[in-house]
Amino acid sequence: MQLRRIEGDLWELPREGRMKVPGRVYSVGPPAPDDPALEQVRNVAHLPGILRFSLAMPDIHWGYGFPIGGVAAVDADEGAVSPGGVGYDINCGVRLVTTGLDADDIRPRLHALAAQLYRDIPTGVGASRAIPKLSERELEEVLVQGAGWAVRRGFRAASDDAERCEEGGRLAGADPAAVSARAHQRGADQLGTLGSGNHFLEVDRVAEIHAPDAAEAFGLRPEQVVVQIHSGSRGLGYQVCDETLAALTPRLGAFGADYAALPDRQLACAPVGSAEGRRYLGAMQAAANFAWANRQVMTGLAVRAFLHALDLPDRVLGARVLYDVCHNVAKLEEHQIDGERRRVLVHRKGATRAFGPGDERVPEPYRSVGQPVLIPGDMGRYSYVLAGTARAMADTFGSSCHGAGRLLSRGEALRRAKGRSIARELTARGIEILARGKKTLAEEMSEAYKDVAQVVAVMAGAGISRLVARLEPLAVIKG
Amino acid sequence: MRLALPQPFEDLEHTADMGVRVRGATAGEAIARLALALGALLAGGGPVAPEREVRFAVQGGPDLAGTAVALLRELLFRFATERVIPCAVEVLRADEGGAEAVVALGRHDPEQHAEGLDVKAVTWHTARLEPEGDGWVGQVVLDV
Repeated sequence: MQLRRIEGDLWELPREGRMKVPGRVYSVGPPAPDDPALEQVRNVAHLPGILRFSLAMPDIHWGYGFPIGGVAAVDADEGAVSPGGVGYDINCGVRLVTTGLDADDIRPRLHALAAQLYRDIPTGVGASRAIPKLSERELEEVLVQGAGWAVRRGFRAASDDAERCEEGGRLAGADPAAVSARAHQRGADQLGTLGSGNHFLEVDRVAEIHAPDAAEAFGLRPEQVVVQIHSGSRGLGYQVCDETLAALTPRLGAFGADYAALPDRQLACAPVGSAEGRRYLGAMQAAANFAWANRQVMTGLAVRAFLHALDLPDRVLGARVLYDVCHNVAKLEEHQIDGERRRVLVHRKGATRAFGPGDERVPEPYRSVGQPVLIPGDMGRYSYVLAGTARAMADTFGSSCHGAGRLLSRGEALRRAKGRSIARELTARGIEILARGKKTLAEEMSEAYKDVAQVVAVMAGAGISRLVARLEPLAVIKG
Repeated sequence: MRLALPQPFEDLEHTADMGVRVRGATAGEAIARLALALGALLAGGGPVAPEREVRFAVQGGPDLAGTAVALLRELLFRFATERVIPCAVEVLRADEGGAEAVVALGRHDPEQHAEGLDVKAVTWHTARLEPEGDGWVGQVVLDV
């Protein structure tokens, strides 16, 4: 595969054949020409209505249709919406909650805190019943109201939690009627559950401040205790994606020659304005709202766990949502393209919105410095808080990376972990770790992932995001 | 032919997801082994005692691989909503239109099955069910 360096860590897959646009790849080191994820970048460039570039962030790896770390914007009226460009875990995302505590405040009781969090927030395969099973009516409310539904029921750090989420914690246009009965069944008892695999709840300390101005605006200071929650729409979202792919995959040709000619069946898609496209968007938006409500319920449960385990009053804990980002979503947004303001549908699959300073879509407290961009690393090293930039708006439809990106297959990770206790290794470094399965820990060990510091360095070097703070884990809860 | 856990399957190396490949003397046997591979992964290798048996049919297609995926999707849905794991499978019929099977299901136990994989979906990516050599090969990728 031909790759051309544009500048620094930015490479281009030249437009050829039936590609509508070139591919643009941000990469840690030169991309490997035989990386199957690059083939997917090229395939995405065939999407009807795609604009400017098929983009790949530096945490790219092979996915389903779209690569993970892929970004593609299509014309909102003439383009195609692709469930593969969102992923099975609709609105898988990250939330960061700040507190008024320092790391030394909690160290004496770290184990008790971790144990309380582990008890109070259901984790693992089949996790359910964090809160009573939702009735049909309640579930429909969740699908429309998103994070606000949970805030109004007392699951919160502060009353303005939802305002500090991307999109205010809900996407307008959600259509509960587009969410099938089967998806309802899968989701009804999963609200407030973490899941398994690479999902986690982590108690971190702010280890380093890189940009004091942005850190101040975000409310971050050195040694501060913060909480990350990484989870998504659980079974409800998986079912929405699954059913849509089942419906669209055999019908690609029905939408016209451009669709029939797509090089990968896994790029199943439909015209945005078609009945199928509108149905998927409505269901996807509803699932996204479920995910925001999910992270909001877990926020409330985490706050209660802190108060109980540390025996603190609420005002001393001082918990507050810093921000909440989705990294698997397709959103209708306005962007400046070739001098013209245009309405587009931006697919971000394993990529994070990163809007720059001055953008009115960024919450007012952060508007002068840019949107918080939350980038979790692996469980043993560090995570980052970045800020969006004007360059991101110009180059990547306001998008940045989303995490470290896997390096090893699960099988290879298990082989390398043989004879080791990953839990003991983490504990020896002062990290409390509680997880349902030893195998999950092995599969999720640090060596299985790229170094997120290298990933965010590429974004910072390209001017796409600005480093604000580095977080280091104190306690990790996994399913 | 009725097959029960454990059955052999091959772990295909995927960075983010889980690929499995099985072999069988017939298409039905290969599909049964794919279903039990899913069961083994959901159970994390832990024991699964049969609790009840169900007989169901799925619409599949456009090819046998699509039929295999359809059957596994149904089993995953039952796991997600009823917390049951397939522990024995007899495929009565399998063709490009669909399949019918009798499946013994056991209850998911969070303690015994703590190492189970959180399977989000059964994908169509590189799904295969086709003759190979003097038997059949089946392959699916699970999104985890």
